[in-house]
Amino acid sequence: MTETIVTFEKVRKEYDESTVLKEVSFQLEKGKFYTLLGPSGCGKTTILNLIAGFTEATVGNVLIDGKKVNEIPAHKRKVNTVFQDYALFPHMNVFDNVAFGLRMKKTPKAEIKTKVEEALGMVRLKEFANRSIVGMSGGQKQRVAIARALVNEPEVLLLDEPLSALDLKLRTDMQYELSELQKRLGITFLFVTHDQEEALAMSDEIFVMQDGAIVQKGTPNDIYDEPLNRYVAEFIGESNIVEGHMVSDYRVAFAGYEFDCIDGGIPSSETIDVIIRPEDLEITSADKGKFVAKVDTQLFRGVHYEIILYDQEGNEWMVHSTKKAKEGSTVGIDFDGASIHVMRKNESEADFYKRLDTYTEILEG
Amino acid sequence: MTEKMKWSKLYLFFVFILLYTPIFYLILFSFNEGGTMNHFTGFTLEHYSTVLQDSRLIQIVVQTLLLALLSSLISSIIGTLGAIGIYYVKNVRTQEVLLNANNILLVSPDVIIGSSFLLLFTIVGFQLGFVSVLLAHIAFSIPIVVLMVLPSLEEINPSMLKAAEDLGANGFQILWHVILPNILPGILSGFFMAFTYSLDDFAVTFFVTGNGFTTLAVEIYSRARRGVSLEINALSALLFIASLLLVLGYYYLSIYSRRMKKVKRGVAE
Amino acid sequence: MNKKSTQSTMLFPYVLWLALFVFAPLLLLIYQSLLNIDGQFTIENIVTYFTSATYITMTIQSFIFAGFITAVTLLVSYPAAYVLTRTEHKELWRMLLILPTWINILLKAYAFIGILSQSGPVNEFLETIGIGHQQILFTNFSFILVATYIELPFMMMPIMNAINEIDPSLIKASHDLGANEWETLRNIIIPLSMNGVRSGIQAVFIPSLSLFMLTRLIGGNRVITLGTAIEQHFLVTQNWGMGSTIGIVLVVLMFIVMKLTNNTPTRKRGGR
Repeated sequence: MTETIVTFEKVRKEYDESTVLKEVSFQLEKGKFYTLLGPSGCGKTTILNLIAGFTEATVGNVLIDGKKVNEIPAHKRKVNTVFQDYALFPHMNVFDNVAFGLRMKKTPKAEIKTKVEEALGMVRLKEFANRSIVGMSGGQKQRVAIARALVNEPEVLLLDEPLSALDLKLRTDMQYELSELQKRLGITFLFVTHDQEEALAMSDEIFVMQDGAIVQKGTPNDIYDEPLNRYVAEFIGESNIVEGHMVSDYRVAFAGYEFDCIDGGIPSSETIDVIIRPEDLEITSADKGKFVAKVDTQLFRGVHYEIILYDQEGNEWMVHSTKKAKEGSTVGIDFDGASIHVMRKNESEADFYKRLDTYTEILEG
Repeated sequence: MTEKMKWSKLYLFFVFILLYTPIFYLILFSFNEGGTMNHFTGFTLEHYSTVLQDSRLIQIVVQTLLLALLSSLISSIIGTLGAIGIYYVKNVRTQEVLLNANNILLVSPDVIIGSSFLLLFTIVGFQLGFVSVLLAHIAFSIPIVVLMVLPSLEEINPSMLKAAEDLGANGFQILWHVILPNILPGILSGFFMAFTYSLDDFAVTFFVTGNGFTTLAVEIYSRARRGVSLEINALSALLFIASLLLVLGYYYLSIYSRRMKKVKRGVAE
Repeated sequence: MNKKSTQSTMLFPYVLWLALFVFAPLLLLIYQSLLNIDGQFTIENIVTYFTSATYITMTIQSFIFAGFITAVTLLVSYPAAYVLTRTEHKELWRMLLILPTWINILLKAYAFIGILSQSGPVNEFLETIGIGHQQILFTNFSFILVATYIELPFMMMPIMNAINEIDPSLIKASHDLGANEWETLRNIIIPLSMNGVRSGIQAVFIPSLSLFMLTRLIGGNRVITLGTAIEQHFLVTQNWGMGSTIGIVLVVLMFIVMKLTNNTPTRKRGGR
């Protein structure tokens, strides 16, 4: 049985006339890694600020550990934040930065020393205790910021795009470190990012956000394989999305052909979006494929070729293939029916999952 | 929390009341019928009409404005050229020396500037009067212009200058077509500052002026030493309004230039 | 025209200015301090200055006055600047703070002649609450009061700018780590705004050493600062040698204060 740690009950937030968060409700469970994913301005940082106590909800309740915290100021909440720009105190050294929270709580000196050292050890910065913040690298500052937050043993750790200022290599390393740290400590992490790879790599659960609302909640696999709509699909990764219509249950038409699929529960002849990931498509000879297309351009991406093709209806298709194609040639495109994912337009998240439960054929079985 | 906020607001309010009381006190009594700054006996505009009829005072106001205009104009030119020169100096140490030298007059107390300029003019044998005051005002305004122009020079993207050179502009053309338009806001605020420095100066002028030339500040000093005259109050009310307009003008200018920058940046993106 | 010559053409008037109006006057001041009243070359002035009880007490007194004025302005300014940075219409308040500095200090000093005079409003008030008439004008108190008044914005402005420049996320972080308003002020805001405080001290202390107009108008010749002494020697007793000597002392003090406050000048407006 899991315990709920943070609850949002129909929380709305307005800043002079403009609504940045529309009636958002959700629950965070203890010990899980959550990610708020969305473009800038979608309201994800507002959710963090509401939990941390930097801003107050206009309407609705924020609960931490079952207690309403709307009016409790930030410094009295058992929640800590790792800031985007780290927000390390420049006039203190590493040790003093990490010790700050404990000192505010009037923790005995000896205890502060052991706890700070432990926290610095956790982020592998034990030897840096007496170093000045100025002149540290981005990655080191990042670790100090994490240690400074974790040393307070928060119930929830909020991370506001903490990796966005790091270069690619360091970012990937930190992803491993963060998710490992989270598993070891068992603290709830709420991570905010606009980078879908980060979200997919680390999270137990992802909340995809758009315009102040949560569009879809689910595990990385759910969201990648079964995006609710075009917005989520486009946000979560590269994909081919074309318009088509339903023929009947488990039968869909697009690109001028009809195909078997695994989706159902949609009225026939309804216009729908079809999504197929580029890695699920395969290029074969023109007579073998499920439909034909003409190779337009291709780029070598290292692990694969990224090939752009156009079918006879003019839809653009992207294929990831390990084999080179010939530009200008007509080829066949083959795929498995199970890799087709059909999305209704304007379907709510609840309806979507209900339909999925009833109609999706379990492939693994 | 809100209680604390209330007290702190009250404190702020109190500080600002203190800041403005003398000024409004001065203006209030400019309408006093009685001749003192103590008891308000009745409303009159008499002192204003005295000011307007006092041809000596009017002449001094005109002189003061002329002095401010001339000195700020000349110091803006020299200061701007100096700032660009300093900006172009490649050697970091030389640049530092120049900047430190620039600061000397800025931090020097007025009495030092006044007395040492007096020494200079006397030793050279210069007649004390309008020209000596003008030279002194130009001298103490130059560093402030440099200080205002330098930041806008530093904001110039160096590759823009390289681009201009690449496109065939010579040194003067780069200066005229690329640098000057970009630092114009800095020059304007430098000019503005120089203008108000000159208007505000009392001590330096007091030292280096001779017979026959006086500025408003010096005149007020000599009148105030003789005792209260409500004519000065009326004059100060007029000056207050003038400063208010100047401040608003400056404020508008700075907002405008900030907006212009934003517009420019918007285009660039 | 090549770059090098353009640069030297532009720098020429500026360097000329540096030579004529920055270095020459300073050198003249030093030279003059080595001449006695009859124009003979001597170190008499310096010896007199450092051996005469009058000059030494005057210097110390001037120092105490300047220190007192600086301390009072700092005490009044810091809380005001702090509150100001947390209000909503920051820009408006800032304008209101700058506006009085645009009014000639002579006029402000003149206003106090009225306010503090024998039958002025302050005395009237003292009368009503039963303290009775006091001589306020031409006392040390009035000098400090008016000087504090005049210097207040110059202390407040740099402090305000320094507090404003503190990254808001640092304050957020402090709250996040459990510090309340007061702890945040003490541990984060005050240490990080020390630059502003130093600039403010510099902007107030040096002018306070050299105020001479105020001592005459408000201090009534009872208060003698280094500035008053210089003016006295140059314009009244015509003992330029001694005046220059005091000037040199003031310049040296100025450099010491600048070194201690370790800053470039920040005083942007007036006070001259």
